[in-house]
Amino acid sequence: MSYRSEVIDHLVRPRCVGEVPEPDGVGESGHEACGDVARFTARIEDNVLRTVRYKVYGCAACIAAGSALAELVDGRPLLEAARVSLADLEGALGGPLPPGKEHALTLTLDALHKAIEDYWNRNVEALLADGGYAGNGAARGKTVVAAMSGGVDSAVTALLLREAGYEVAAVTFRLHDGEKGSRSCCSPDTVLFARDTAHRMGLPHFTLNLKELFNRRVMRDFVGSYAAGRTPNPCVACNAHVKFHAAAFLADRLGFHQVATGHYARIADGPSLARPEDASKDQTYVLWPMPKELLARTVFPLGDYRKSEVRRIAEARGLAVAYTPESQDICFIPDGDYRKFVRKKVATEPGEIVDGEGRTLGLHSGVVDYTIGQRKGLGIAAPTPLYVTEVRPQSRQVVVGRREDLEVTEVRVGVMNWFLDPGEASMVQVRYNSLPVPCTLRDAGDGYWVARLEQPTSRVAPGQSAVFYTADGERVVGGGIVARTGS
Amino acid sequence: MLDADAVYLDNAATTPLDPRVLEAMLPHLYGPRGNPSSLHAAGVAAREAVEEARWSVADLVGAAPEEIIFTASGTEADNLAVLGLARACGDRRHVVVSGVEHAAVREAARCLESSGCEVTWLGVDEAGMVSPEDLEKALRPDTALAAVVWANNEVGTVQPVGELAEVCAERAVPFHADAVQAAGRLPIDVAETETPVSTLALSAHKLYGPQGVGALYVRDGVRVEPVLRGGGQERGLRSGTQNVSGIVGFGAAARLAREELEERARHERELRETLISGLASIPGVRLNGHREKRLSNNVHVSVEGVEAEGLVLLCDARGYAIGSGSACASAATGHKASPVLLAMSRDEREAFSAVRITVGKENTADEVEGFLEAFSAAVEQLRRVSPLYASS
Repeated sequence: MSYRSEVIDHLVRPRCVGEVPEPDGVGESGHEACGDVARFTARIEDNVLRTVRYKVYGCAACIAAGSALAELVDGRPLLEAARVSLADLEGALGGPLPPGKEHALTLTLDALHKAIEDYWNRNVEALLADGGYAGNGAARGKTVVAAMSGGVDSAVTALLLREAGYEVAAVTFRLHDGEKGSRSCCSPDTVLFARDTAHRMGLPHFTLNLKELFNRRVMRDFVGSYAAGRTPNPCVACNAHVKFHAAAFLADRLGFHQVATGHYARIADGPSLARPEDASKDQTYVLWPMPKELLARTVFPLGDYRKSEVRRIAEARGLAVAYTPESQDICFIPDGDYRKFVRKKVATEPGEIVDGEGRTLGLHSGVVDYTIGQRKGLGIAAPTPLYVTEVRPQSRQVVVGRREDLEVTEVRVGVMNWFLDPGEASMVQVRYNSLPVPCTLRDAGDGYWVARLEQPTSRVAPGQSAVFYTADGERVVGGGIVARTGS
Repeated sequence: MLDADAVYLDNAATTPLDPRVLEAMLPHLYGPRGNPSSLHAAGVAAREAVEEARWSVADLVGAAPEEIIFTASGTEADNLAVLGLARACGDRRHVVVSGVEHAAVREAARCLESSGCEVTWLGVDEAGMVSPEDLEKALRPDTALAAVVWANNEVGTVQPVGELAEVCAERAVPFHADAVQAAGRLPIDVAETETPVSTLALSAHKLYGPQGVGALYVRDGVRVEPVLRGGGQERGLRSGTQNVSGIVGFGAAARLAREELEERARHERELRETLISGLASIPGVRLNGHREKRLSNNVHVSVEGVEAEGLVLLCDARGYAIGSGSACASAATGHKASPVLLAMSRDEREAFSAVRITVGKENTADEVEGFLEAFSAAVEQLRRVSPLYASS
């Protein structure tokens, strides 16, 4: 193994060594037990990295990479600095590092990005405010912040926008600590992968730490809902309070006009949400809580494409993400066992399983284990299959009944968000991936609405979303959270 | 690209070839070459040269010439001893090995472990010393062999090999010592009354001989199963045509080492002491290994707040060649802490920050003084870069 002269030069004459006094951003990556620690400090003004200083404990490659990276970004605008890729850094070091040393590039680049992330994070109170971040949307022009998760949809979103002539900045959100491939020393693999994907497209990439926001607005609600006998939808909560607000926050900071995600939905006049080209991927059901003022500055490029086309585009452009599998689970519960997750967060107490007449049929070990429509795990022998029809957290009772007991004809909905006049609502969808049923809607006062379903519908659970569509079924009129059901 | 002006302070990795050794080798590189196994005159000449070298190598350790088996490296000699001793006593399936062995012995023992042998890894104290009592306790009726390095290649700690070998001899357990670093620096005598080892590994390029030649001393009567099979050279223990010029070089180097041993050791010790006291004046520098019972040429330190690789390269840029931890480990296995230092209760950070400075007979006091200055500057520079070192 031997190093190039450029590496030795950076080692012998390191540039930009030290720490910025009273920095605006500090980023550290690595861990001394792994043998490498990189630390970047920066003074940032007017979205320019006025001064960047670095320190590295580690092998010669890490020290040289820190020096080369600091030299590349010192004094540069954030948008330029955030575009510096592993390949750029490798180039500044004269070419590939010796085998086994490539990690030095990832480590130092990650530390720089964490310093920029820290800078955003110091101004993040606006996102945590009770009403949520409304955004100023002052900027105009063909500029867009595109959320990138590391998956194929969001990568192609950014690509399509760039090809449509937008100036694109990519952003990845840190939402929780349960990422797959998390290691103690660097950012989770998903973040590194998203960053690399953005850089390969020549886009600047930023990371925002939204763990606190996500915890307050999504995870607590998720756990609390189960404890209260409701069936939550965390994706809805995230779209309502986290993702678009954060993207708008970054857009405002960068002076960018619009925000984009890889959701399958269209934006129609109003603005309102409309079904996408690919009906099988339709995500309008989880987007209903988007604030109108944010929807007004949002772009959903994938609304006009089929998923198969998106995969083809990714393959044709050589995006490595083309081969990543579809993610379906709740993102913060990688093993999919949400009961175990909820049980870790709330105390559970045993209670009774009763029938519709209040007769005790058996015992359970906690209401959090049950949701409306559930058939498995009841532990009761019965001539006909039994289903959970109601969860009563106060009396710790789980009510079971026959299949037909699940059917409801009336749904009471609250926490409304309207895009169009409620009078246009003529269908309602009550579960993800189910068909909307015709309904009539009346205002029940106090912010609640009651939908009368024209056909009995089963497995409608409090906590889930009810989304109303126009008569042709194409546009979202509005939506809300199911409070109660009846027949 | 060798810088002719560079000061070489990595003699434990390899030593420069002594011009007198080269002189002895040249006729066997230039001239008509024979195979030592051939019957014709050229073969006879080659054979005689090899046998003469065998005498010289045997003399260096107090052995009989027929007890010396030439190999292609110290590593090969260690493998032949560990694998060969274990395989020669078929039903004994237990092996005792110290925690501070060179990789050649360590990995050979792991190989035995993976083929079903049980290995007891002997612990060491903070200085890297193995205790004879521990060894005695570890021995069992089914122990096939025990192995302890004579002097460790990284930290230079010299083991009480006489006592250790005695413990094994009393129990009739074969004992192997890796003397690759010790030979030429310490007096070695394999006489039963001195150091009753069964086998002893040697290497030419650590004592100013050529690279690519090693030897295994095998005490008369000790059974060793060969590893390499073929033409039956070297008493059947190491098949393959001998490296005649290399062996001749080994012989010449061994002869010179024996003649000059005391003078070399005295010279090295002086330089070593200058280094140790000079390095002690740099804050956060800690000597690893035994303060007294260490090789005459070895200085091994951990430097707080920096990592070895950068230190080695910065010294190199300033014209001084030193080793990082163990030269073999850094190139071959990448980023792993030295097992030897971990066995000595050093933490990973101390292990990653360890450098080895090993002087030789050619080094001068001026060179050592110059090095101390360069090293101190390199440490200071890296600490300025290090986020883990707060300068006071």
